[in-house]
Amino acid sequence: MIEVKSISKEFISPKKYPGLKGAVKGLFSTEKVKKLAVDDISFSIADGEIVGYIGSNGAGKSTTIKMMTGILRPTRGECLIDGINPATDRMANAARIGVVFGQRTQLWWDLPLSESYTILKEIYNVSDEDYKKQLAFLNETLGLEEFFDKTVRTLSLGQRMRADLGAALIHNPKVLYLDEPTIGLDLVVKDKIREAIHEINQKYKTTVILTTHDIEDIEKLCSRIIVIDKGRKIYDGTLADLKETYGTTRKISIKTEDFPGIGKVRAALSSSLNNGNKEPVGDNELELNFNPDESRLEISFDKNHVEVSDVISSLIRIITVKDIKIQETELASIVKDIYNHNLGANGPEGGGR
Amino acid sequence: MIRHFMHTYLPFASNELKRNLAYKGAFYLFIVCDLMEVFISYYLWMAIYQSSGKGTLGGLSKNEMVVYVIMVFITSTIIMQSISRTVSRDVVKGNIAMTLIKPVDYRISLISGQVGNLIYHFIVPSLFVWIFLEVYKVTVLGEPLVSPGRAALYLISICLSFLIYVLFDFCFGMVAFFTTYIFGLSMAKEVLLSFLTGRLIPISFFPEAFRKVFEYLPFESMVYSPVMIYLGKYSVRETLFVIGRQAAWVIILYLLGSFIWKKVTNRLIVLGG
Repeated sequence: MIEVKSISKEFISPKKYPGLKGAVKGLFSTEKVKKLAVDDISFSIADGEIVGYIGSNGAGKSTTIKMMTGILRPTRGECLIDGINPATDRMANAARIGVVFGQRTQLWWDLPLSESYTILKEIYNVSDEDYKKQLAFLNETLGLEEFFDKTVRTLSLGQRMRADLGAALIHNPKVLYLDEPTIGLDLVVKDKIREAIHEINQKYKTTVILTTHDIEDIEKLCSRIIVIDKGRKIYDGTLADLKETYGTTRKISIKTEDFPGIGKVRAALSSSLNNGNKEPVGDNELELNFNPDESRLEISFDKNHVEVSDVISSLIRIITVKDIKIQETELASIVKDIYNHNLGANGPEGGGR
Repeated sequence: MIRHFMHTYLPFASNELKRNLAYKGAFYLFIVCDLMEVFISYYLWMAIYQSSGKGTLGGLSKNEMVVYVIMVFITSTIIMQSISRTVSRDVVKGNIAMTLIKPVDYRISLISGQVGNLIYHFIVPSLFVWIFLEVYKVTVLGEPLVSPGRAALYLISICLSFLIYVLFDFCFGMVAFFTTYIFGLSMAKEVLLSFLTGRLIPISFFPEAFRKVFEYLPFESMVYSPVMIYLGKYSVRETLFVIGRQAAWVIILYLLGSFIWKKVTNRLIVLGG
């Protein structure tokens, strides 16, 4: 469905100098600054996939989306959306896609929502019958009727976002681009939007590309994610693989009654784990914390170095366990690590396709 | 094909028409300001004719000058629908992206919007001022009513004028892609246009050399030509030539706009994320 072949986008802007003196200097300078917003990105997306496209602010997410929708022309490389190159055939591509930019609206600000929809129906050349059917479906999934006759500028952000999502779907597009569709929304509306996206994907096999900063969006919707940082693709694979590759830290949390003290537990634990183990576990590989208020012991370690089952069986012998909880690394903290460039520079390329 | 075209772009026109009806307060304020301009210009010319002591100046009699001043007002109110302002706003706020994601041509959608403005401005106030002018002509000036044929030619001519103006203004608006804001340039354009289109002074008042240059520019075709057709200053052959020249400008400016648009989209930067 979508074929992105090593696209790059370079922005050229006049060089700015600091201060008032700099501003004057800028008037006479012809120096230009080149910024590579997207650097040689390739991927392909199959029919009916929901792909999360994530990266920090300014990583180049929106720029990529804009190139795929035909708003911007790539400096190098090309992309094919269902066989159409949006850079050369924007209108043909636009007729088959739906786009929501969370920070903007494609609706007519001064008109009632119903009227905006009628205009879009005409623009996309949707037949009366299809329009009726699609509108009934959108009403059901997005609950549009409660504000269908209100002027767009009087809608709340949540209503407007639902309206915008509906507007992007009137012509039943093959590909849906969502650039931060849940930005600034409350939890209830977020859920509604996610449900709607899921339902549309299920019903029409619509391919969805979603950029977001909300981890829940990704966990609830995306089977596959692409992570970009500073314009380069640093991960492309399933969510499970990402967790497998980067989220190897496990945290065991144990409620206990008779806690003998951290030092004693650590000593007992290391000797138990190293018993018959060829590669001894170093002290710094286990992180122990005790919370006396809840009488809860927390142990963090890398599951590739230490077996979870070993730790648990050892602990049961050392202390009385009243309750036990095993946590895997949250996606949020993986993403945070990637954003902080802890993993991107030397991390593996991930389970790329 | 044509039906699809109409279906696609008609909403842009009707939307603009509706918007005008919603913000009529601002509109009437503009009309009052413009009418003031007409009065000033009227009294100024009357004073000039009085003091010169001549019957005709620049090929226009005093009565013709009255018609000229008012018809220039009507013509420019109808045809001068600014596209560059919208382009600049779209560029500054990044809204241009929202048009580009739709299967519509940006330029045609802008022009369609201005067709809505044109229809509105044709009715209020132009039609009323026009009727007033004709009544005034017959009752006070003692001139004959404009012939239906000439009025029809005038209407054909201003349709072309409108296209020349919006296509030119689109090219001008493209400057916004390079400078972002075009307010200052817009002011300069307005002043220049009021000279070059014959809005301020009839072209026939300019020295011969200037007029020769003007003949090769599109501005004369915007306002001066249709008003002269209305005044019956051209022979049949001249009228056909003038209208043909307008059509040629429409084609030239259309092609120029396409060319610039192609260049601009290559370096398009959408502002604001």
